[in-house]
Amino acid sequence: MYVYRIMLFLVLGGYLLSPLLMSGWATPGVAWYRPFLIWGVLIALTLWLEQKRKLDER
Amino acid sequence: MNASLAGMFVLGTGYLLVLFLCAMAVDRGWVPVRIIRHPAVYTLALGVYASAWAIYGSLELASTSGYGYLAYYLGVAGAFLLAPVLLVPIQRMTRTYQLASLSDLFAFRFRSRWVGTLITVISLLAVLPLLALQVQTLGDAIFLMTGAASPALLALAFCMMIALFAMLFGARESRLHDRHDSLLAVIALSSLVKLGAMLALAGIALFGVFNGPADLQGWLDGPGQAYQAGVLQPDPAHWRTLLLLFFAAALLMPHIFHITFAETLSRHTLLQASWALPLFLLLMAIPVPLILWAGQRLGSDQLIGAAYLAFGLSNSPWVQALAFIAGLAAASATMMLIALALSGMILNHVLLVAHPPDARQNLYRWLLWLRRALIAAVILGGWLFYRIVGVHHDLTTLALAAFVGMAQCLPGLLALLYWPGANRKGMVSGLVVGILIWLAGLWVPLLTGLPPLVVIPPGLEILIGEPDWYIVTLVSMAANILVLIVVSLASHTSEGERAAAEACSVDAVIRPQRLPLAAATGEDFKQHLGRALGEDVASREVERALDDLGLSPLDSRPYALRRLRDRLQANLSGLMGPSVAQDIVDRYLPYQQGGGGATEDIHFVESRLEAYRSRLTGLARELDGLRRYHRRTLTRLPVGLCAFGEDGELLMWNDALTALTGIPGESVIGSRRDSLPPPWGELLGRILAEPRSHLYKQPVDLDGAQRYLTLHKAELEASNDELGGKVILIEDHSEMKWLEDELVHAARLASIGQLAAGVAHEIGNPITGISSLAQNLRYDTDDPQLLETADQIQQLTDRVSRIVSSLVGFAHGGRHVTGQAFTPVAMAQVTDDALHLIHLARSGEDVSYANRCDPSLMVEGDAQRLLQVMVNLLSNARDASEPGDQVVIATAAQDNGLLVTVTDEGQGIDERVRDHLFEPFTTTKPPGEGTGLGLPLVYSIVAEHGGRIEIDSPPADQPRGTRISLWLPLNRQQEGERPDEPDPDR
Repeated sequence: MYVYRIMLFLVLGGYLLSPLLMSGWATPGVAWYRPFLIWGVLIALTLWLEQKRKLDER
Repeated sequence: MNASLAGMFVLGTGYLLVLFLCAMAVDRGWVPVRIIRHPAVYTLALGVYASAWAIYGSLELASTSGYGYLAYYLGVAGAFLLAPVLLVPIQRMTRTYQLASLSDLFAFRFRSRWVGTLITVISLLAVLPLLALQVQTLGDAIFLMTGAASPALLALAFCMMIALFAMLFGARESRLHDRHDSLLAVIALSSLVKLGAMLALAGIALFGVFNGPADLQGWLDGPGQAYQAGVLQPDPAHWRTLLLLFFAAALLMPHIFHITFAETLSRHTLLQASWALPLFLLLMAIPVPLILWAGQRLGSDQLIGAAYLAFGLSNSPWVQALAFIAGLAAASATMMLIALALSGMILNHVLLVAHPPDARQNLYRWLLWLRRALIAAVILGGWLFYRIVGVHHDLTTLALAAFVGMAQCLPGLLALLYWPGANRKGMVSGLVVGILIWLAGLWVPLLTGLPPLVVIPPGLEILIGEPDWYIVTLVSMAANILVLIVVSLASHTSEGERAAAEACSVDAVIRPQRLPLAAATGEDFKQHLGRALGEDVASREVERALDDLGLSPLDSRPYALRRLRDRLQANLSGLMGPSVAQDIVDRYLPYQQGGGGATEDIHFVESRLEAYRSRLTGLARELDGLRRYHRRTLTRLPVGLCAFGEDGELLMWNDALTALTGIPGESVIGSRRDSLPPPWGELLGRILAEPRSHLYKQPVDLDGAQRYLTLHKAELEASNDELGGKVILIEDHSEMKWLEDELVHAARLASIGQLAAGVAHEIGNPITGISSLAQNLRYDTDDPQLLETADQIQQLTDRVSRIVSSLVGFAHGGRHVTGQAFTPVAMAQVTDDALHLIHLARSGEDVSYANRCDPSLMVEGDAQRLLQVMVNLLSNARDASEPGDQVVIATAAQDNGLLVTVTDEGQGIDERVRDHLFEPFTTTKPPGEGTGLGLPLVYSIVAEHGGRIEIDSPPADQPRGTRISLWLPLNRQQEGERPDEPDPDR
């Protein structure tokens, strides 16, 4: 259950900070794939939390 | 324009044919179940969210808003990241109450069929632009590839094929809530196709148009800058609003709701999708900017709209076919699912509400064909909307109109989950206000081309100049939420709504009431429901519900009947929607009028708490731990315990009582006392009616044996917050009763023994005199007749002496002291002595005995104790034998010991008793004839001698009877001399 709270915090935080993602569109010197990289990290984090939740419920 | 209309038709039909084959392969069982039910298939099926707008519309949005297009993907990804707190509770509810759509959920929670109808109408209005968008992308793609003047007709042909497909594979059962494996597989395959096509197009863009990532980055940093100057990055507020809209879409769009909740999938699968679906969407989103930039580099954005830049990546027909198939895969899957979901909603919440089903024989078939007709109508409606409205608007306008409309249901959904205080009036008022603003601001202008009617409330002048979709979203949502809260707080909430609110609330455990039903058995249910559904359908539904619950049709427990009623309502809800189901159940399976005060269904609450355990946290979890501890204490109590509610319904039946009665708790909990099997109903009735709190040693016949039970009763006084009732403890005092009886019996036997020993002693003296006189007579005469008489007198007196000495010996045998030295004993002699004693008894005179013991075989032991053993065994054999039967006693050397067998031809020993024969007080004799102590005594004496005892009943070599085999260690002297066979010379 505590894992769910982390997830809630993560999503709300992401929602508030997400406009920062858009600033990289075709800006010189900024890798075009940066938003996808951040998104990928978020997915990895969720996967890790999901594994942790499964262990918690055992 | 490389393709002909016929070529396009073949391409599209070929793709749909592949889907058809896939569905058929799943249906025929050609694909292993582990693949079909793999979580990855479900995740891919959820990818239906990425509709044709994800393929073409995202390109259009990216060209104007840059990374703003990501809102479409991130919104739904956010909803799935929150799966444990948002989607899982909804899934639990939809599964428990068989709710297949958003309308079902709202109608169930707000207890009104009209709420379901309202949500259905809103869904239909909101989804039409999305359906039109799918058709429009098909039409535009056909036009781009063929240059045909009337691509709409080919699009119509595709729509018809898609409708046919949905009718064939999505609506084969009238029941909405059944899992459609073939449909899921097809949707998953579509997702795989569109993902593969998008990645391939991205590869072509990156390595065909650009020379790899470095070249792309170089172009972006250099010449590409000019192209990006026109991109208007969305304002953070716009971006967040977009995110909110797409977040809401993941929960509310009929097709997403259907695939997420209506297809019966496990909670684990849904949780796995919480990261797998965002991953899928990430892979779908990456190609979008690559295709856009490649198109801009090639300059094709000047020739064709930004939405269809994928067609301009190359002149190769294969690349164009790839772009077309990606769109077709996305559009067809979305249309199929939307049609399927909406047809169910319209059927349950519009048609069945307007025209409730009557008791027709072919209800299932009627519902099925209605659904199929509705599927076709919905898809045709989408095509018409495209022809009339869609062609005049771009993809983004259509999509936003749809998403803003559906988002109006979001406040209601969140209130449904997290605010039990929200009521129907509040929700409907808020929703109507929000929808009216949406209709005036977006939908009507879309339809009519009139300028949007957007009223900016005073104080929000800051919104002037903002895009219409943004203003409409903010104003409608704010008004919706405000009205919902104010009206809910200001108006009264009905009891039914309050109960439904508790059932839906995330933290609530349902506390159902125990009310008696008018129907008394499963058969009654069939009869009552038959009036509404027809006999055949009613019978099938009742049997299905009984099967789901694992109940017997004859189960008449009030608890079981209440569960059956709930289950039937849930199952009918899956068939006809919750409103109609509730009406039918309330009308035809009513609760008894004036059936007494309702109390909480403790047993059901407990079973629900058990199921919710993993979700409890903090104090609730601690309290639940305490509850479980106390529950376990009562359940495992080594004394029988049962509890009755105030209405006489059985609420608890612990393990010890199950062991004593042989009745499992699950089969009686929830029943009335008088429906308990005999003798328990009557016995418990006796203590409940008794003014005293105890009933001592009540005789009860259990499995043919008499038992004595002591019952104690305690009254639970009801108070404001606590339930009343009665607790009964049942103790088995049979052994104590037997011990008491045995003590009296033993005391009587002891006095008789003393008397017998005295009598024997007194008899001994005259017998010795008679024997001496007979001896004298032999010396005093030579008359052969007198000599023979003297011999006979002496033989008879010897016999009397032996009997007397055996009797005295037997009487003294009970005072054996362990550790006394053993002496060599001949079992043949012991058997003879025992037979003498046995012959003294009057019973069993017609039974003959054959002592076939080898007199030369000796064992080491106490002769008196072994005599007791043989007397017990022989008297048992005699009692079991019929007149004319023979009891054979034989010995044989075996394994360095002596095997003594006593074999009778009696009725044998019951299998149930056989395992307990050596336990005290186990007897097969009629009451008063056997003490049940003989064989335990035999066992203990044989054990003292280091031997063992076995029972065969019947023995292997005869059809009936019993053989008791004693194995005793041989006399050591003898053992050394002749270990195996007796020496005939001894």
